[in-house]
Amino acid sequence: MSATTSNPSAGSDSQTMRAVLGFAAFGALLALVGFLQSWNVMLAIFNLCLISAVMALGVNIQWGYAGLFNVGIMGFAALGGVAAVLTSTAPVASAWQAGGLGILASGAVTLGVIALAVIAYRKLASGPLKTLVMLVVIIGGYFVIREVYDPAVAAIEADNPAQSGFLGGLGMPIMLSWAVGGVLAAAAAWLIGKVALGLRSDYLAIATLGISEIIIAMIKNEDWLTRGVKNVTGLDRPVPYEIDLQGAPWFTQLATDRGFDLVEGSSIFVKLAYAALFSSVLIAVLALCVLALASPWGRMVRAIRDNEVSAAAMGKNVTARHLQIFVLGSAVVGIAGAMLTTLDGQFTPGSYQPLRFTFLIWVMVIVGGSGNNLGSVLGAFFIWFIWIEAEIVGNWLMANATQFLEEGSALRTHLIDSAQHMRLFTMGIIMLLVMRFSPGGLLPERTASR
Amino acid sequence: MDVLNAITLFANFVFVPGLAYGAQLALGALGITLIYSILRFANFAHGDQMAFGTMVVILLTWWFQSLGVSLGPLPTALLALPLGMAALALYALAADKFVYRHYREIKAPPIRLVMASVGVMFVTNGLVRVIIGPDDQAFMDGERFIVRAGNFRRAMGLNEGLAIKSSQALTVVIAIALVVALFWFLNRTRTGKSMRAFSDNEDLALLSGISPQKVVTVTWIIAAALMTIAGTLYGLDKSFKPFTYFQLLLPMFAAAIVGGVGNPVGAILGGFVVAFSEVTITYAYKKFLTYLVPESLAPEGLMQLLSTDYKFAVSFIILVVVLLVRPTGLMRGKVI
Amino acid sequence: MRKLLMATTILAGLTGAAFADGHEVKMGVILGFTGPIESLTPNMAAAAELAMKEASDSGKLLDGKTIVPVRGDSTCTDAAAATTAAEKLVTADNVVAIYGADCSGVTTAIVNSVAVPNGVVSISPSATSPALTTIEDNGFFFRTAPSDARQGQVLADVLKDRGITNVAVTFTNNDYGKGLADSFQAAFEAVGGKVAISAAHEDGKADYSAEVGALAAAGAEHLAVFGYVDQGGKGIIQTSLDTGAFSKFILADGMIGESLIEAIGADLNGTIGTLPGSESQGAATFQDVAKAGGLEKVDGPYMPESYDAAALVILAMQKAGSTDRKAIADNIMAVANAPGEKIMPGQLAKALEMIAAGQDVDYEGASNVTFTEVGEATGSFKELEVKDGKFETISIR
Repeated sequence: MSATTSNPSAGSDSQTMRAVLGFAAFGALLALVGFLQSWNVMLAIFNLCLISAVMALGVNIQWGYAGLFNVGIMGFAALGGVAAVLTSTAPVASAWQAGGLGILASGAVTLGVIALAVIAYRKLASGPLKTLVMLVVIIGGYFVIREVYDPAVAAIEADNPAQSGFLGGLGMPIMLSWAVGGVLAAAAAWLIGKVALGLRSDYLAIATLGISEIIIAMIKNEDWLTRGVKNVTGLDRPVPYEIDLQGAPWFTQLATDRGFDLVEGSSIFVKLAYAALFSSVLIAVLALCVLALASPWGRMVRAIRDNEVSAAAMGKNVTARHLQIFVLGSAVVGIAGAMLTTLDGQFTPGSYQPLRFTFLIWVMVIVGGSGNNLGSVLGAFFIWFIWIEAEIVGNWLMANATQFLEEGSALRTHLIDSAQHMRLFTMGIIMLLVMRFSPGGLLPERTASR
Repeated sequence: MDVLNAITLFANFVFVPGLAYGAQLALGALGITLIYSILRFANFAHGDQMAFGTMVVILLTWWFQSLGVSLGPLPTALLALPLGMAALALYALAADKFVYRHYREIKAPPIRLVMASVGVMFVTNGLVRVIIGPDDQAFMDGERFIVRAGNFRRAMGLNEGLAIKSSQALTVVIAIALVVALFWFLNRTRTGKSMRAFSDNEDLALLSGISPQKVVTVTWIIAAALMTIAGTLYGLDKSFKPFTYFQLLLPMFAAAIVGGVGNPVGAILGGFVVAFSEVTITYAYKKFLTYLVPESLAPEGLMQLLSTDYKFAVSFIILVVVLLVRPTGLMRGKVI
Repeated sequence: MRKLLMATTILAGLTGAAFADGHEVKMGVILGFTGPIESLTPNMAAAAELAMKEASDSGKLLDGKTIVPVRGDSTCTDAAAATTAAEKLVTADNVVAIYGADCSGVTTAIVNSVAVPNGVVSISPSATSPALTTIEDNGFFFRTAPSDARQGQVLADVLKDRGITNVAVTFTNNDYGKGLADSFQAAFEAVGGKVAISAAHEDGKADYSAEVGALAAAGAEHLAVFGYVDQGGKGIIQTSLDTGAFSKFILADGMIGESLIEAIGADLNGTIGTLPGSESQGAATFQDVAKAGGLEKVDGPYMPESYDAAALVILAMQKAGSTDRKAIADNIMAVANAPGEKIMPGQLAKALEMIAAGQDVDYEGASNVTFTEVGEATGSFKELEVKDGKFETISIR
């Protein structure tokens, strides 16, 4: 925030230079991978860079615009994955027949219980009677719900458990799920924001940590919804399959004309198609973010972030603004989560790990430059690249660094084995160093309007 | 007779494990609350720092074991405990010097300190995994049981057995001793009183000549001791694995907030509330009820309120309820 | 040595295929070298690499080609990491086939996202999920391990024969555990048994007392544990014994390992279990071959299947007469099943010679390989019982 004080226009220029240099350096790194390893590997890394960038943008909206510390990114990303399954898989008629009605009924009962509880909460005067009625409604309601819900779940999960055992989805194109993922994540964010916003700032952090773990637990255990840990594989694709391309006359023609290998070419073509889709989402989100930040709304949220007390004194509803920003940011994370599941072609709840999905994204945002949208994108690109390549380089370094030790010695084996854990350590050090010595990150927040 | 069986069953699967787990959580929450009320941030590195202290204890325990040193029926780890506490205190003070102090000096908003603690968490996590690896480590030795399930069953002539592990008894005894010592320190000694003054009103404390650096240092040393003891007891009772220590964060935070952040008595209460809720809500009462009611009324289902899959969700639900109904916590901690 | 080999192959991957002269053929070895079965995978990889070495040393593979294994880490659980590793093997290292992966979830991921799209055969020694039977693999996926649908059936039969009618089941909360628990429950109920409770446990928890409490409450005397030996399964058994909740256990393949007996001790005596495998001549021969090959361990779980998986690829390569990926895939069935002369472990040189001479072979190998139409082992299982602190084979089913 203080880096660009002396001369605003010159500062802005050097900002642009930094951005151009940063992205050029990233391009060079990718090219290096392309030449040294393979273009397929390069594109695979790049696609994940794009998705990470969208996720980092979502987090940047929360942290950079409003100073909200969300430690539950993993949960919102997983909801995106749920959306991908629920949108794209075909409905399972026999499962619906077995327990669809029961699930719907238990949903209705749940809503009824909540409504009753809300009515009791609003209508009754405070006192022991109110507490008693609330307890009876909630605990009694819980048993009624379980009475309807349990047999329905058992019926659905017993329906061809090895291949299916869930209700299935809507059978719609998977691209639609990106929007649905945003909506699901937004809904979860609204609930958690209602509870935790307006209290101490670190309560939100603790609450999001909890909700993300619970979302993962539900996804793992509610088999009737998304097959739980049995995973959903072979999800729909928005792009053609490699194997179809290899059989398509136009593509084989192209391969012979241009003289590239058919199999490798098809794989690259598919990755390029994904890259195009993800890039358009990234550019759209980025453009919206930039526009929003420059609008009166953007100025207001930054004013709130920099001084909540005076913003509140000016009549701004701080908590409502925070809720809005929290919901928006989480929705963007949800979109990215759906995109990730689409790219994987499968939904595997076991692979959601907090270090990979929550804290890594945080490092991206901090390194990139909190508050600066382009910075988050650049941070995401670089950090994902380091995360992926660090293991290879780390292994290589460890192998060389331990050359002097006797082959097969316990210490040497141990050090080589632990190379992979060095990346957690490295990420932590990077995060602490950037926070301390370069709080603006790679691309510090612009203060051009001053 | 059947009532006795029911009570034994309940004690074996709910009360004894809940008591030990509650004591472990209470010690963890006590550390969180201490750091919170004096250093004024939620320490996300708490779980991983616990793992760090425990790791040092484990390594020393192995060394002692290889030397043939032991405490007889007690676990050797107790011998290594003071050294582990010292090592973690040094580590925590180093983290304070290189990371947290800067943010205190520039008077950064608390959330910055929280983020810095996430960075420390990452680094600690990596260090622990590099040094001792990500896997389970067993370091319990000595006599494992005070009461064995089989012996109890035979001696009492019951269907059900009651097992009391020495680690469980040890946990409760050490936790009580530690809490007494801590309260004595906070209420009776000069340093303890200055810490409380600092926590109540930082500016006033500074005016009255209390050295902030000393308060911070003492706080980290006490917190490190609490972390190492909590971590070691947890590891002895269950098992040591770096990732599970990270996962303890949520129940520990829940315990601290439920009890009332900044309130040491609240942290202890919160620890037991969270632990007993987790155990009682996920326990299946079928067998318990079968002992109590006439045969014709014996339950068919498992009589389980919540599947064990959602065990840790319980701490979160309690947390949310408390935040909604009574954000200051059961014991009225401070809320800014 | 293994680590050095790994480091150098990684280095080779970084700098591009530096030493790929015409005589070397690369084969991917992708297993969970880290993760919940990391104590099993080094032995599995060693068994597979033994077959590769045997073929290379014979000098008879496609006129003297040698096979170089390139390792990748499947992590056993993280699908994204596994596909990235497989992608690198296939596109950067240009392997002709993949031996692996190990756990069912990551195997499915690799088949769907890497093997089928790139037309590379993937042959797993240990992925046993029933769902893999119907995966759309276009002929690029095989497994030398039988489906868990079969293991569930065998376990149910074992219990029935022993007169056990009421069990509590706990499974590791992933596709392997859940799939096996489902198939076991269906089979057990079909033979008149009763599953009192079927509850998941998460791996990597420190404390399983709540899970054990719930399992014990259901009132069964036996506890069936479908988990991993280095993970939660061990914790469940330890806690059950500590609290006196169960003393009789039934184990599935993932739980069979020496480390379990080392950890638990004499209390485990009387435990019964099943493991894919046979007491055939092939299994015994394999142990001799492995001993002669200098392997540290010769009777580890899935080692025979691993050796066979690698051997099948090698023989198919010879049959195809080329290292073309598609041709290898197309010839696996031909060498795995009748007609032809039966081939035992250690006879790869003979088999290569016969194929070169245009004769048919029927690879039996260490695990009695016979493939079903979809390319998975029909599978025989060993019924094991722990006696005096050792797993002993009672019968073959």
